Amino acid sequence: MIDFLQLTAAGLSQGSVYALLAVGLIATYTVRHVVNIAQGDYATLAGLGSISLVSAGLPLPVAILIALVSVTLASVLIERVVIARVKNLTTLVSIILTLGVSTLLQAIMLLVWGAEGRRLVAFPGTDLNLGGVSIRSQELWMLGTLIVVGGGILLFYEKTRWGKALRASAEQPVAARIVGISPAVASVLAFAIAGLAGAAAGVVSSPIYLSIWSGGLLLGLKGFVAAVLGGLVSFRAAIVGALLLGVLESYVAGYVASGWKDAVAFVILIIVLIIRPAGLVLRPNAVRV
Amino acid sequence: MHRAPRRLLVPAAVAASLVLALTACTSSNFGGGDDGGGGGDAEEGPIKIGAVLDITGVGANLGVPEQNALNMLADQLNEDGGINGREVELIIKDNQSTEDGAARATTQLIENDQVDLIIGASRTGPSLAMRPLVEAAQLPTISVAANAAIVDGSEWVFKTAQNDLVVLERILDDAEAKGYTKVALARDATGFGEGIADIITELGAERGITLTATEAFEPSATDFTAQMTNLRSADADAVIIWGITPSAGLAQAAYVQIGVGKPVYQSHGVANSAFFEAAGDAAEGVLAPMGRLLVADQLPADDPQKEVIDQFIADYTEAFDSPPSSFAGHAYDAWKIGVAAIEEAGTDPEALRDAIENTSDFVGISGVFTMTPEDHSGLTAEALIMAIAEGGRWNLHEE
Amino acid sequence: MTLSKPAGAVRSRTGFWPNNRATIIGVGILALIILIVPFTASSSMMNIAVFSMIFALPAIGLSLLMGLAGQVSLGQAAFFAIGAYTHAILLQKFEVHGVLAAVGGVVAAMLAALLVGLPMLRLRGHYLALATLGLGFIVMIAVREWEFTGRTTGIYGYGRPEVFGIPIDNNGLFFWFVAPFVLIGLVLALNLTRSRAGRALSAVNDSELAAESLGVNTYALRVKVFTLSAGFAGLGGVFYAYQVQIVSPQVAEFHVSVELLLMVVIGGLGSVWGAIAGAFIVELLSEGLRDLIPAIIPGATGEVQLIGYGLVLILVILLLPGGLYQAALTTWGAARRGIRSRRQASDAAASAAAPDGTDDSGAGDVPTRAFGGIPDVGAGAASSTPTVAGVEQTTDAPTDEVTLPVVSTPVATGEPILEVRGLTKRYGGVVAVDDVSFSVPAGRIMGLIGPNGAGKTTCFNMITGAITPTAGTVTFLGREIQGRKPHVGAERGLTRTFQNLQVFSSTDVVGNVYMGRYRKGRAGILRGMFGLQGREQYTHEQIARDILDSMRLGDVAQLAAGDLPFGRQRMMEVCRALAAEPALLLLDEPMAGLSGREREMLAGLLRRLRDAGLTIVLVEHDVAQVMALADSVAVLDDGVLIAHGGPEAVRNDPAVIVAYLGTDAEEAEAELKELEEQG
Repeated sequence: MIDFLQLTAAGLSQGSVYALLAVGLIATYTVRHVVNIAQGDYATLAGLGSISLVSAGLPLPVAILIALVSVTLASVLIERVVIARVKNLTTLVSIILTLGVSTLLQAIMLLVWGAEGRRLVAFPGTDLNLGGVSIRSQELWMLGTLIVVGGGILLFYEKTRWGKALRASAEQPVAARIVGISPAVASVLAFAIAGLAGAAAGVVSSPIYLSIWSGGLLLGLKGFVAAVLGGLVSFRAAIVGALLLGVLESYVAGYVASGWKDAVAFVILIIVLIIRPAGLVLRPNAVRV
Repeated sequence: MHRAPRRLLVPAAVAASLVLALTACTSSNFGGGDDGGGGGDAEEGPIKIGAVLDITGVGANLGVPEQNALNMLADQLNEDGGINGREVELIIKDNQSTEDGAARATTQLIENDQVDLIIGASRTGPSLAMRPLVEAAQLPTISVAANAAIVDGSEWVFKTAQNDLVVLERILDDAEAKGYTKVALARDATGFGEGIADIITELGAERGITLTATEAFEPSATDFTAQMTNLRSADADAVIIWGITPSAGLAQAAYVQIGVGKPVYQSHGVANSAFFEAAGDAAEGVLAPMGRLLVADQLPADDPQKEVIDQFIADYTEAFDSPPSSFAGHAYDAWKIGVAAIEEAGTDPEALRDAIENTSDFVGISGVFTMTPEDHSGLTAEALIMAIAEGGRWNLHEE
Repeated sequence: MTLSKPAGAVRSRTGFWPNNRATIIGVGILALIILIVPFTASSSMMNIAVFSMIFALPAIGLSLLMGLAGQVSLGQAAFFAIGAYTHAILLQKFEVHGVLAAVGGVVAAMLAALLVGLPMLRLRGHYLALATLGLGFIVMIAVREWEFTGRTTGIYGYGRPEVFGIPIDNNGLFFWFVAPFVLIGLVLALNLTRSRAGRALSAVNDSELAAESLGVNTYALRVKVFTLSAGFAGLGGVFYAYQVQIVSPQVAEFHVSVELLLMVVIGGLGSVWGAIAGAFIVELLSEGLRDLIPAIIPGATGEVQLIGYGLVLILVILLLPGGLYQAALTTWGAARRGIRSRRQASDAAASAAAPDGTDDSGAGDVPTRAFGGIPDVGAGAASSTPTVAGVEQTTDAPTDEVTLPVVSTPVATGEPILEVRGLTKRYGGVVAVDDVSFSVPAGRIMGLIGPNGAGKTTCFNMITGAITPTAGTVTFLGREIQGRKPHVGAERGLTRTFQNLQVFSSTDVVGNVYMGRYRKGRAGILRGMFGLQGREQYTHEQIARDILDSMRLGDVAQLAAGDLPFGRQRMMEVCRALAAEPALLLLDEPMAGLSGREREMLAGLLRRLRDAGLTIVLVEHDVAQVMALADSVAVLDDGVLIAHGGPEAVRNDPAVIVAYLGTDAEEAEAELKELEEQG
């Protein structure tokens, strides 16, 4: 039982990382119909960036803030320089382009930070032991970040005028225009949100899972799997899906074999796509591709 | 119509680019690996020694110091006039810590560079991948990886790292002395960790020790929660973590965080300072059998290896501003054994192999080597000391 | 015509059939290079050449998949790995003969692709791409964790291949060993792109709906191409296993898929030649960057070539979306422009005059001339277009010989050919079409009219299979086809045109009309690959040309379809639909965008076709046209069928007038009259 709870706790904290990435993916997908393969690389970029800033002597909160802002800006830059330049953004083109961006980001990280994984100093706090289940304080930070950043993005989309217009802008550009959002602004905004969510995930997870140049792809893909569970439109469903995915991975690693852990996400992906491509929790008329 | 000639263009472009790119040159592309060591037994020109190392990827903590050591030793050798007056050319290839990378690099060394001797690879998996290639080419090869499967029954492959078998003997002896009866294992999922559980079961039976749980982890893993959770519930007296850095260090950190609280043995795969970077405070008190290199300053003055080790540490530290790891030592041993054999027998592959097999009482970094046609490893349990992690370094453990 | 004697078995005017001279020369040049390379290349170049040959095979497969089937696969390495592993395991564990092991590798890859392709190819766009990516990871993890596949270390120790007792144990021989397979693969793939199946797939890329409405079973073709593509990948894997002498989980890794994708993107999507060039360039780039980057940035280690991959992927897509193939064509085109303009000048005024002539004066007369010879052309034809006969005929079109396109008449005139019962479509709470029932008798023209948003096109789309009805049945020739894909009806002779034009822009006009012949052709992928369908294709091409000639489009047969003016594109769509020899022709606003003369010509044509036994249903905005043309008219308003009967009866139906023109029936009638007079 203790093992079960231990694995669940580990799964939830891992799932919170996937959840943030899923939120970022949905943000860009709803506005631009782009599945951003580079989403996970935002996370590693922010992680590595903050590690360098901390080792340069900056206090941790400052380093994190700078990393978040720079990765958000980098995401916007990618949108302006690469994505926005394509007139006819077909699925094929968007996938090749974001794959190119992802590869480029990885290569840059490899050249700047080297091939080895690095670890950000742990955030302040003491590890807990609840009846034999040990919970690292960093894991609480991860869940907390999901609640604050993920929840904040959710509130923005659901409660603010801009957020609602942004959601609508994919299908109803007019609605977005009424609030004063041009498609270009909507796209920039979506990429900024994606950058922020990815960066937050990367910074908060680095003390446990390390930041390594090549790690973003798999993270992003798992975020995508979570996003698919939400039909690529529902933030809430994606967050729940991400946490479930994290827990399920943890169970497979614990009870089956750790090597199969990474396969879980893709088996789920393929099964879900084949059985219910519109996601698990969706009304029948939601947007399909 | 106009379409047909237009479509000729792309093939023509392909053709032109091929022709332009494939510039004429000297070496034949038909000089295969079937003629017993290629053109390697030439009596003139530089002697070529190839190395296939895990310079990048999960084995980088091993391959980089090995690369450093080989470069340093090659420079030293050439400054001293090479081997019998012939310059030595060292060709190092990165296998990116992959098996097929090792195989590709080996093929290139054999077919293109026509080397006389190969050193490598850093880890067991890539070394195993190289084995059939060098055997087919009949080329003496000295691996710097650990698993006994690399050399078992091989005519052409040698190795300089201590056998997993003797390392485990050392660990289990210690465990027996402390009265442990149950151990649990977390092992590297690649070649280095393969067969370890079987050896523990076998050796443990003689000592009244049973293996209660086996977990595996990828060398690229960063999350070990699941494995450590299972070890915690394995009800063992001690835990053996068998891997290389950084993964074995990260596993150690996770082990302590989960709060298992049983003593830990690690393997000689963590015989470097990178272990402490990865494990942090969690390293404290870990026991690991390893060569004498990392505890050189604590060796008694009469230790037969002390002089060699002190010299190597001095040279390496001067060249690279950091002390060498055990892996640099494995490379040193491979180089010295190989060079000595070439000095004696030249570059004829069979003669060279025989000369390596005749290596006797060679005092190296990892131990004192005595090779035979049957034993291509050459080290005994004597080569190992038990070290304990204390205050961010390895210390000699008083038993 | 510039080729006086095509070397291939089949003479072709368009040059897109197999076995033509260009391919033979191209392959010949490549074969010559392959012969020479091992004697001249440096050893490191030789190494690159060998691996580019090995990777050219999966790249060709991926190029077919992406270019032809329009599917992004990020998991091509999975099939590459399956081929390599199967081959290695058969050699090492079962000591099977090399040839059998190789066949085993290819078959295993194809079987795996078939298995995962059946469910996965129902997915679209992003989903498919990411599902294939996931597949790659699953394969990699499976071979890594499975004892049988040697776990992390993989399978090794199976030795080099032997050919006639000669061991292939060096790069030079190995190059010759693999190159013939690349050449054969190249020719097969080239044939396929030009075959019936290949052209159908490119049509699907241009407009899936239109292609399916002509009888193309998109899903089945995609599964076949996916499987074929995996076969190419598997063969590449077989050679990889031989060359590297170990197969370990890294062969299934994502970066291998990325490299393959990069090869295809550089070469140009869908260009088979490009895939080979791309394979060579990527291998060269990879080797070059591994040397170059560490020289520029000290201390750079590892997969530094990725920086080049990323940049090239982005730059090619942004600046040169068609890859090398497009670049080569552009260069060539620029070089030839001078020659072509000279030739055109000498090609007589005829072709230059044609477009004008057709638009201004010639539109109406062609059908008269063309179909005058049909025995059962009725009086209706003559009476409806009295002015047409007097129009001067333009000089270039050989209209004397042309005949009315063949139509199918599976049931006797007057018998019901299409029955619609209770057809309903709901979108959430909105009912777009509500319980519509009608029957269409064979050999008649039926008009479907209604105000904007009345549900005409929805109704139409449900009949043709473009959308699935919420309830109700559509029975065509006695078979229920509602909810089935468009090709199901199309195979039996139900063909349509589109309100929003759906031209196949990647091919020329004759290529478009040729696609109409799809349901009459039989050759499958295999026959296409081996080039054994030339005769069939040539026959169909000829029919397509005849139809174009008869519709006064013969002069533009060679132009890219997208370059035609709107009206002629619409006529081309009609030609395309007619080429299918339909039994039931559904026309969605065929008159929209046509000039007056074009309308007359089309109306005349439709009448003649009707008289020849074809059943026609047309949705039309232009009420007057429908009233003049149709034998019966159905009126939809707000999703409900409010009237159905003869044109006169419907015209005077008060409900119709109210529906069209609001509540004031008198005013409505006045406006209706006015409309008619304009028409």
